[in-house]
This record gives sequence, structure tokens and C-alpha cells, in this order.
Amino acid sequence: MKTLEGVAASSGVGIGTVVVVAEPVLEYESTTVADVDAEKARLAGAIEAFKELNTQKADQIRDRVGDEEAAILEGHNLMISDPFMVAEMDKLIEGGTCAEDALTQICEMFATMFEAAEDDLTRQRASDVRDIRTGVLCELLGVEEVDISLVPAGSVIVIHDLVPSMTAGLNSDNVVGIVTEVGGMTSHSAILARALEIPAVLAVADVTTELAAGDQVVVNGIAGKVVLDPTEDVLHSAEVRREEFLQERAALQQLVGKPTETADGIQVELFGNIGSVSDAEAVVSHDGEGVGLFRTEFLFMESNAMPTEDEQFKAYQQAALILKGRPLIVRTLDIGGDKDIPYLGMEKEDNPFLGFRAVRYCLQRPDVFKVQLRALLRATAFGDIRIMIPLVTGVAELRQVRELVAECAAELKAEGTECNADVPVGVMIETPAAAIMADVLAEEADFFSIGTNDLTGYTMAADRGNDHVSYLYSTFDPAVLRSIKRVIEAGNEAGIMVGMCGEAAADPLLVPLWISFGLGEYSVSPSSILATRAAIGDWTKAAADEVAAKAMAAKTEPEVRAILESARKG
Amino acid sequence: MVSQKITLTNGSGLHMRPAGVLAQAMAPFAADVTIVADGKEVNAKSLMAIVAAGIKCGTEVEIVATGDDEQAALDAAISLIESGLGE
Repeated sequence: MKTLEGVAASSGVGIGTVVVVAEPVLEYESTTVADVDAEKARLAGAIEAFKELNTQKADQIRDRVGDEEAAILEGHNLMISDPFMVAEMDKLIEGGTCAEDALTQICEMFATMFEAAEDDLTRQRASDVRDIRTGVLCELLGVEEVDISLVPAGSVIVIHDLVPSMTAGLNSDNVVGIVTEVGGMTSHSAILARALEIPAVLAVADVTTELAAGDQVVVNGIAGKVVLDPTEDVLHSAEVRREEFLQERAALQQLVGKPTETADGIQVELFGNIGSVSDAEAVVSHDGEGVGLFRTEFLFMESNAMPTEDEQFKAYQQAALILKGRPLIVRTLDIGGDKDIPYLGMEKEDNPFLGFRAVRYCLQRPDVFKVQLRALLRATAFGDIRIMIPLVTGVAELRQVRELVAECAAELKAEGTECNADVPVGVMIETPAAAIMADVLAEEADFFSIGTNDLTGYTMAADRGNDHVSYLYSTFDPAVLRSIKRVIEAGNEAGIMVGMCGEAAADPLLVPLWISFGLGEYSVSPSSILATRAAIGDWTKAAADEVAAKAMAAKTEPEVRAILESARKG
Repeated sequence: MVSQKITLTNGSGLHMRPAGVLAQAMAPFAADVTIVADGKEVNAKSLMAIVAAGIKCGTEVEIVATGDDEQAALDAAISLIESGLGE
């Protein structure tokens, strides 16, 4: 038995037989062409055959996966239909070059030009051109292109990289797992594997030589592991895990469209955390009821200069439109000395987590902050947008932000731009100061959202990345739990919404505490939405209260954890 | 020869899809049509050449047409770019 590790790109467990898919052998002897017209016709014929095959593949993919995947292949046909490109190949043939060389040289010329481009989109086209070259060359040489649809049932596809032209035949009827040498979570092969619900482990070094055809393997797309020649025991537990996974997935699918409520019918809101505009689609597809945390740092980290008001507005507007009226809570710029964004002019600090960051930076740089606030205000015309301020320590910061919001709204009104001047402004509760002042903050904030990650770190004064002290970093610590309880109660007393957007919101062990404390909104990663809905539905208020009473009477973290473990459902 | 300057306003610049729209529309004309941008001259009938040039949104380009139906080709190119190239 041997275990190989890679990136867990598509979850699930697949057990099957390895099929190593080799890239087709495309060797040929360069010749000097005598009959120029015949050679041109040979090339034209190969291109026609390639296009026909490609159209068939695109149709297959459209049925099985979707329009977007099919469009990639249709793009290949558009490219090879370019009369200029074909004319360049013909010119080479007229000079005596054979069709294979003419094709290769011209495709390589374009691939090189694309690779030299400044923008990513154009650079990515280079691999498309090479894919086209391979396809047409297969036709010229009479070599069959790799056809994954022909592999027997129970196959695990092992391949260097899954390129678009190969994926047409891929289906979950005969392919139980995918293992590649390159790629990551966002690569083409990962997206496709997830769409088809085929377990996949990517970026496994040298896997096409480590594994051989006929090998028995377990592809664990949950843990990112591939086990070669599993023992009876390992095989058995993989089968159990596989069944569990399939049942869990089926059970969670049953919850799509259902309200999020406790077993005795107390409804709460279940939102998703997102870090980019496209993540908003994941929230919708996982049946999230809104977005509880939109991290806006991506706008600033992905560009080389301050994103303009229009650029920011477009991003917020787009996310709001995707959510179709569902709430969108946007956290204002949460940046600090630990992240290097050169154009923001921030200095390296000895103590970045206690330093010049988040709302502190924004309030001292109204020139930066107002651009974001104006963009957000403009976006309020397109959805239920709410503004959330990070790292608040007291009511003074909230007041200053409100003043700036009012100033921006007045400016926009004077310019004749529509916006909601009464946009809700809430605070993230993630510092001990804010937690202690929660009753005062609740009088002026429109909502709270508890950021459990930072609140735990600041409360325990422990960095979870530091091995010597990470044992102290735990949301289960009574100090953290008491703090959270106070915050929720203070918010509820004032009648404002209290949410939670840290990882703890999705922890099934902690859910009974949140129910008992009266948490109104849970914001979790999109892939945890349905599991959290299930966890909330496991508890009645009375049962949660009973567990909470015991847990809150405990004096140490291990005691709390033991009580919650023993009360675990499912 | 006729020519006209115009600024690209479609969102993504001359990427695959918009470049394809332009190249296909120019193909039927007998005239040679060239896009001049940032000092580069690009054959407007070639999708691949347009994409390779990587012309971004906001760039001012000059469309140059030479041949029998040059005015018609130029007019068609300008009106397509003004309409956002199918985006």
C-alpha cells in the first residue's frame, strides 16, 4: 500500500482501476512537399475533420456539463476557421513545408504571441491554440485522439492534465475518479470534476509514472489522497466513507429550498461568506439566503493601483444582482500591515494585529474610504446592501463612519445619483473592547456580526499560527463563549440583528450554544450552508438550552468540548 | 484608402468573442481592413491576429480600409464597434 497526496479538488471517494491516459504520440518525419495543391488539400481536409469532431464533442459536453464548457470547444473552431491563419499555413506549404510542420509553426507562432500578452485572458488562449494543433495533427497523422468515453466502468483516469478537448467523453457512469499531475482548485479539470460530481485529486507529483494501468486505487477527494493497492481494511473503510458521503450529499440536497429552522420551528437566517463576485453564485447555488460577509480586499489586492469608484461599484452591483434581492452585507476595507499593498502606502509594523488596520486606516484616509462608501451607496439601488465595519472598538468609530456615509450620500444626491442614504450600518464584533461595549454599541449600530476568528484570537491573546500557543486559540474557551453570549443578548435586547461570520458559525458542536444564546444569522462558507441548515434543524430550543446550561457552567476549554462532544447529534 | 479613429468601449476589449464578431463581419468585404492600435497594424479579418494584439477597452484605434468596397467596410466596422461588438 502506498499513499500519494495532492489537492482535494472535487469531494467524494472513488474506488477503481487506473487507466493512464497518455498524450497521443504525434511523431512524424518532416518532408519536402512536391505536390503543393495536394498538401494544401490534405491540411484543409484535416482541419475540416477536426472541426466536425469538435462540433460533436461540443454537443456532447453541452448535454452533459453545460454551455460554458461547450463554448470553449466552439471557440477552437472559430480560431481554426480564421482565414488568415490558414493562409499563413498555405504559404509555408507553397514554400515546400509539409502540412504537419506548417500547422505546428503557425500554431506555435500564435501561442507565443498570446503568451506575451499583458492580460491573463489572452495568455490562457495559448493553451487553446496548442490544443487545436494537437487535434489537427491527430487528423493529419491518422492518430486517434484520446477518447475518455471509451474507458470501462470503474475507471480512475490518471493523466498529466485534463485539457478541454479530452473532457467531452468524461462522465460519471464509467469514471469514478480523476488524478492529475497539474492543476488546482480553480483549474479547468477541477471545475469540470465538481460539475460532474466525480472525486478528484489534482497536482499529484509524477502520478502518471507512479501509477500504472490496472492498479487498484482509492481516490479520496475529501482528504486529497490517492491510495495505491489498499489493504482489505483500507478498502473497506473507503467503501464505508464513500457510502456515507453519498448519503450525506443526498440528504443535504433534500434541504435545498427548505427554511432554516430549529426542530421546534424557530427560524434563523443562513448566509454565505464570499471573497469575490463569482462566489456570490456559489451562495445562490448552495441555497444561501444572503451574504453575511463580503470581503472586499480582493478588489485592492488584485490590482496595481487603487480601484476606482466605478470599478468598485461594478463589483458590488454585480454581486447584488446575482443575489436578486437577498441581503448583501459588505465589510469595508479590512487591510493591515501584514498584507503588502504597495499603493496604499502602509508601513510594516512590529505588531500588525494591534496596529494601523481596518477601520482605523479607513478613518485616517477618508480619500480612500469615501471612494468605497460612494461605490457602496451607489450599489444600494440594485439590492439589499448593508455596510459592516471591521475591528470596531467603540461607538466613536461607528459615529465617524456614519458621518462619512451621510457625507457621501449627500454628495451623490447633489450629483443626482440615486442611492439609499439610510443604508444599514453595522459593526463586526471581533475585539474584546467591542464585546464589552456591546450594550452601548447596540444602541447605535443597525446590526452586529460576530467575527469569531479574530474575537477568539484577541480574547485569548493567542496566535493560532504559533505552535507554542495555538492550544489557547479555541472558540470553545469559556472566556470566548461568555463574551459571545453577552454580545448576542445585548443585540437581541436592543432589537437589532445579531449574526456570526466566523468559522464557528458552521461548527455543529457549537450550534446548540448559538441556538440557546439566540443567534439570528449564521454566515458560513458556501459549501457549508446546507450542512449548517441540517445542524440547526437537529436541535429544539429546549434541548439546546439544556446543553448550553451545562457547557456554560464548565470552567475550562476541555470540559466545554467534552460536554458538547457528548451531546453531538448524528 | 479610407480611415476613421474610434475608441473601444466594450467591456473586455478585443478578446475572443468580440474579435470573432468583428473578423466575421469583415470577411465578406473585398477591401483589406486593418486595425491600427498602439503602433501595431492588425488584419481585421483575422480573429487570431486581433486576439494576439491584446487591444484593451478604452484604446483609441484607427480602422483603415483599402479596396473596392472600402467605404462600406469601414462603415460596417465603425458601427459594429460603436454597438459594443455583440457584448
